[in-house]
Amino acid sequence: MPGPINWIIWLVGTLLEGSVVVFALKTNSLRRYLFLNLYMGLSFLVSVGRLEILIRWGYTSLEYAYFYFYSDALLTLGLYFALLNLYSLVFDEMKVERYLRLAAVVLLGGTAWFSYAVINQSSHRLLSHFAFELSQNLYFVGLVLTYVLWGAILKLRETRTRLIQLVLALGIYFSAFAADYALRNLYPNLQPVFQYLTSMLAWILPAAWAYAFLRVNDEARLEPSRLAAVSR
Amino acid sequence: MSRRLIVLLLTMLVLVGAMSLKTVVITHGDGSVIMANGSAPVPPVPWKNGSAPVPPVPWKNGSAPVPPVPWK
Repeated sequence: MPGPINWIIWLVGTLLEGSVVVFALKTNSLRRYLFLNLYMGLSFLVSVGRLEILIRWGYTSLEYAYFYFYSDALLTLGLYFALLNLYSLVFDEMKVERYLRLAAVVLLGGTAWFSYAVINQSSHRLLSHFAFELSQNLYFVGLVLTYVLWGAILKLRETRTRLIQLVLALGIYFSAFAADYALRNLYPNLQPVFQYLTSMLAWILPAAWAYAFLRVNDEARLEPSRLAAVSR
Repeated sequence: MSRRLIVLLLTMLVLVGAMSLKTVVITHGDGSVIMANGSAPVPPVPWKNGSAPVPPVPWKNGSAPVPPVPWK
């Protein structure tokens, strides 16, 4: 069973996830950032569901493991759509929704096909393993898409502060997990530290998004610091 | 080239890049979960051990017939 520190980390994470939706409601941002809030709302519900399963069946039970990995695949799918929500907001003035939808469907289909192709070679528990593989593959797709979006934001000289904060938080979130994975493999003897650190990384996204909804006005713009200075 | 084809090309590039990155990372990793949503404690992967076919032993010495593995 998890220790007291694990329970505290989990509780704080769950509260942060719930607070994102509450702050979005409070600032009337729910519809504009619908998929971001759906993802956070779903994360909150899944967290409560995991707690229920963990208490009833135990940490090492198959029930908890399967519920955890199936719900994780669902959440990663939700995160993928949240990322697409950010794409549509960044490119909303270019009227390219049609192409974004096409790219999203092809990318999701391609990832699902790749996941199936991999597990089809090595596993007889197709559905369970597929959910896990799809979740991990979508994570990498999300990582690459976030960096592409950040490049587009720089190129388009985006100035909407809240949108930039939301995208940057997502970039930091993905990058932190990648760095954590690398460090876990470099220093396997520090497992007692990483078991807490990895769980705490999940705070990054809800904390940053909650801050963005609560403190950063949707109309706020960054100062035009990149104006070219022309000599007279 | 139409815009639709350009979109498809870019999408494929993202997919190939992401899957290549994943392959590189997994090859050098310990097989544990890379990313998990939420702060809940990650359970051990239930299907990690057990169902993969046992490979032939690469260090076979001599020409005697190999007995069946008793602990399969």
